[in-house]
Amino acid sequence: MVRQAHHERDYILNLGMRMQADVTVIGSGPAGLVAAIEASRSGAKDVILLEREEELGGILKQCIHNGFGLEQFKKDYTGPEYAERLIDEIRKTEVRCFLNTMVTGVSANRTVTAVNSEDGVFQVEAKSVVLAMGCRERARGSINIPGTRPAGVLTAGTAQRLVNIEGFLPGKEVVILGSGDIGLIMARRLTLEGARVRGVYEIMNYPGGLKRNIVQCLNDFNIPLYLSHTVTEIQGRERVEGVVVSQVDEKMQPIQGSEKFLQCDTLLLSVGLIPENELSKGAGVELSRATNGPVTAETMETSVPGIFSCGNVSTVFDLVDYVAQTGMSAGRNAARFVAGDWKENGGSVEVLAGENVRVVFPQRYCFRDELTLYVRPAKPIEKPVTLSIAPIEMNIKRLYARPNEMIRLKVDRKKLEKVTEPIQVSIKER
Amino acid sequence: MNVEKRHFTCVTCPVGCEVDVELRGGNIVSIKGNRCEKIKEFVVQELKEPMRVLTTTVRIEGAKWAMLPVRSDKPIPKRLFLQAVGELANIDLKAPVHISDVIIKDIAGSGANIVATRTMERS
Repeated sequence: MVRQAHHERDYILNLGMRMQADVTVIGSGPAGLVAAIEASRSGAKDVILLEREEELGGILKQCIHNGFGLEQFKKDYTGPEYAERLIDEIRKTEVRCFLNTMVTGVSANRTVTAVNSEDGVFQVEAKSVVLAMGCRERARGSINIPGTRPAGVLTAGTAQRLVNIEGFLPGKEVVILGSGDIGLIMARRLTLEGARVRGVYEIMNYPGGLKRNIVQCLNDFNIPLYLSHTVTEIQGRERVEGVVVSQVDEKMQPIQGSEKFLQCDTLLLSVGLIPENELSKGAGVELSRATNGPVTAETMETSVPGIFSCGNVSTVFDLVDYVAQTGMSAGRNAARFVAGDWKENGGSVEVLAGENVRVVFPQRYCFRDELTLYVRPAKPIEKPVTLSIAPIEMNIKRLYARPNEMIRLKVDRKKLEKVTEPIQVSIKER
Repeated sequence: MNVEKRHFTCVTCPVGCEVDVELRGGNIVSIKGNRCEKIKEFVVQELKEPMRVLTTTVRIEGAKWAMLPVRSDKPIPKRLFLQAVGELANIDLKAPVHISDVIIKDIAGSGANIVATRTMERS
């Protein structure tokens, strides 16, 4: 049931701008949509979805490329198709969606404060909250590129919105800094729209995005990728006139004498994503320094009872299928929490990143569900490796390990029943 | 006949298997490094004519947004991409449009149709 907020107005006024809900979901990207649908299907009666934009779907709406939902739906959808399928599903549920509604605060007792232009400020007292705010892009300020401050420096995601939704081409001669997936996708997109993409420059000695995007977004269009390179200066007064790129050494420091000037009118930044956790902090949710997202159990519950998180607000995933899977878990468990099916059980153990592991998600195991681990390797290992899970002596062989390819592993509940010490995931060369 | 070695990255799914292929006279002798069986079809097609799904946008009048996202309903030869987006630059489209509506038939003579990938109401 998707309704504009003003249809709810009388209801809210009757309650003195306070509403009650079983589950409140914040954000309607893939994680939030799936969580709300799943909470409703799992028996939560009153599910409210709060979205700050005027449409449901989050970032999917501007991700017009295909490759979404291969696992979840066995279809090769584009972002908008994937979103529309979920929106069709949510319409069949009793979930109430508020659009144009900005959440300004979440408290530890699960009261959500939100504001929109119809209802003003209002509060939703929920038995359970699902955080699904997604992530935001790192921008120029995060990476400190010296030089002037002209127009024409923007993040890849901003360019994606301008081109795919609003119909503006941000520039004609483009340099892309960073090889994250959005940057790679935009290299192809801008080329198709008639811009010249001079190259993608990546400070690391391995690419940030998926291999298939290197192939179909760069190689297919003869766009060069320069590893161990970065932009060391931006030039131009009103508008970008060019950038200086330099090679970097193994400590990622620019190598003197390697500078090269590239004429361009636009610099796109695809230099990483940060989970958006201002609301989580306000609720007192413990954050992980490794992921910048909430410390989460396999149930997607955070450190605050009844507050769950899922999708890219938790940790930045590579694939929407992974995001959806965490959304499903969060929605189902939020409904279980509301139903009172959440008695104290055998406590919990930590899940730790061991050797050669940069990120492991989730970070706690509570003995309630099977454990689906998402593992991001710390560095590329181009040799056969073994992923080991201690103390259960589970070993999985892979042909290689790369930071740009998150590894997902499912561990059966039965295998973990007797575990009393921390679970540790490590990657070793064979 | 000499054995020719080629390297491919499969783009069928996000796993992106990287394979070493041995060819003799254009025929596949061996494929190494794949995790599933879809690789053979992919390599055969890459050798003959690389095919990709085209995703792009077209301008739309009378909708909330300026651009409507579209795709080819099946893969088309990638060499036709620029011709295809050229044809799409000049079309006249008005809202409402429903998801899967055909926007242009037989784009660039490829046999594939360009279809809308979202619904856009008149605003």
